[in-house]
Amino acid sequence: MTTTSVERRTVLLGLLGRRIVQIPVVLLVVSILTFWLLQVVPGNPGRNALGQYATVAQVRAWNHTNGLDGSLVGRYLHWIGGFFAGDWGQSLVYSTAVKELVIGRLGNSLLLGLYAFVIMVPVAIALGSAQAYREGRRSDRAITVGLLSLSAVPEFVVGVVLLLVFAVWLRVVPVQSAADASGDFLDRLRVMTLPAVVLALGYLAVLTRMVRSGTSEAITSQFHRTAVLKGLSPAAVVRRHVIRNALVPTLSVLGIYLGTLLGGSVIVETLFGYPGLGALLVTAAERKDVLLLEGGVMITGAVSLLALLLTDICFVLMDPRIRFDARESR
Amino acid sequence: MTATIPGSAAPAVDSLQADASEAAPGGSRFRSLLRRPSFIVSVLIVVWWVVAAIGWHLVGLQPYAKTGELLASPTWAHPFGTDNLGRDMFARVVAGAGPALLIGPFGALLATIIGGALGLVAGYYRGVVDTLMMRFFDVLLALPSLIFLVVLVGAFGIGPGALILIVGILFAPGIARIIRAATLVEMGKSYVTAAKLQGERDVRILFRELLPNVLPNLVIQATLSLAAAVFITASLSFLGLGSQPPSADWGLAINENRVYLQTAWWTVVFPAVGVASLVVAANLIADNIREVSR
Repeated sequence: MTTTSVERRTVLLGLLGRRIVQIPVVLLVVSILTFWLLQVVPGNPGRNALGQYATVAQVRAWNHTNGLDGSLVGRYLHWIGGFFAGDWGQSLVYSTAVKELVIGRLGNSLLLGLYAFVIMVPVAIALGSAQAYREGRRSDRAITVGLLSLSAVPEFVVGVVLLLVFAVWLRVVPVQSAADASGDFLDRLRVMTLPAVVLALGYLAVLTRMVRSGTSEAITSQFHRTAVLKGLSPAAVVRRHVIRNALVPTLSVLGIYLGTLLGGSVIVETLFGYPGLGALLVTAAERKDVLLLEGGVMITGAVSLLALLLTDICFVLMDPRIRFDARESR
Repeated sequence: MTATIPGSAAPAVDSLQADASEAAPGGSRFRSLLRRPSFIVSVLIVVWWVVAAIGWHLVGLQPYAKTGELLASPTWAHPFGTDNLGRDMFARVVAGAGPALLIGPFGALLATIIGGALGLVAGYYRGVVDTLMMRFFDVLLALPSLIFLVVLVGAFGIGPGALILIVGILFAPGIARIIRAATLVEMGKSYVTAAKLQGERDVRILFRELLPNVLPNLVIQATLSLAAAVFITASLSFLGLGSQPPSADWGLAINENRVYLQTAWWTVVFPAVGVASLVVAANLIADNIREVSR
């Protein structure tokens, strides 16, 4: 672990350069795929939007202004051109601009996702490292089994049970979490706590597992034994030798989950009536709101890819041994 | 499990099971499965739901008719209470096994077939096909899976056939990756070289030589994706993107009845127990198979 900061910066810049090319390409493929898949949908969007009393000419004009006539390729180019220019079209269901709608909901989802993340990470680290230090004992097994069965149960079941306990019996939180911006910050936080906890619980098992295996690897290694034998205090051993090595494998999982959490968690948002991006996309799919769905998918894709990039950067900063060429050529 | 691994049976046979050493590796593995209580209980739960799904109308249950008071709490006549339309919750929970078990198994089967075939082909031919396929899967896996699912629902709709196809498409890439990795390992072994030198046709090598050797992997993936498929279809019904009223589907029931959570918890809790028991049991079966086939 003797890489100089110059070398590290080269790795970081190389990584950034590669990702700056990669992310738009992936997003472009996602956009083409989504567009193509959604155009398979039978039905005339203009007719759906205007209702059965509109004339044929009106429907045709509506389709034209929304870029929904002409060939598939032409329509795609029209849409993607508008997308980059900041015009994401009109939502059929909500009759407002897709962009404002998606960005607004994204903000709510990000807030909820971050809250869940803040709950999840310390708990996972505490549980996982506690397990590693008592590996093989009954408490270790019990935590593993408990968390795994929790993650096997669908989120809406866990959510219902928690709602029953905390909202119906104890009455500490409301049943509906339709947090509007008018409430003050603490009020909002109270409303969001239960959804965030449910969200966090679903991912806790795998994350704890990663922390456990990372920590257990670190504390059975030679360098750990050396550190203990040379008389470092336990706190110093943990701080200087265990934490870094234990958290590196955890980061890769964290990156994937961060993307999922931030991109809106469809189930939790629907269950608690939370106005997030995931719930919006479900409505869009249900009502065949093509433009809204496309805009939302692009944003979700972008957020997850950026979260992965963030993880990669943390990787380089935390573990100088990592060379990204090795990871790319799996 | 009936799969035997001709070349690599040794690691699978547990040295503790001396009494089973006479049997084929597949047989002894099956017997060690039967000694696991969690496996037996899980199988019993799944069998119970399968029986319920097929047999509920034979025993005179009425999940769609008003048979009692509205939102009546559990009594002897209605052990799980009644819902907002006076329908017996017990009958609805039992009948709800039908939709839960309709999409998942067929979707998982489709995913296993598509994923297995693609993985074998990618691992066998490598080169451009392999690279293109894997990069394409990377793109698919970059999207959160429920978002991908929502797009597919938007495209194909929510009929049972469409949902089976959607589950198949959703799980195939993951299976293909694992089978490709397993195929790459097998490709390094001498029996593949021997088969090639003998001039066997590609199709024969793929399906007669390689497939039997990656089959244990495929079986594990199939059971794991079965559990995940049941999970996903329940989630979709909960979102209103699966079964439609008046279906007795569990996910749908939880969504419909959650407004009554404060006054009639039984309308939500019993369907929830239904989903949870089926999903956890399917997961435990997959875990047990994976553990004994190590």
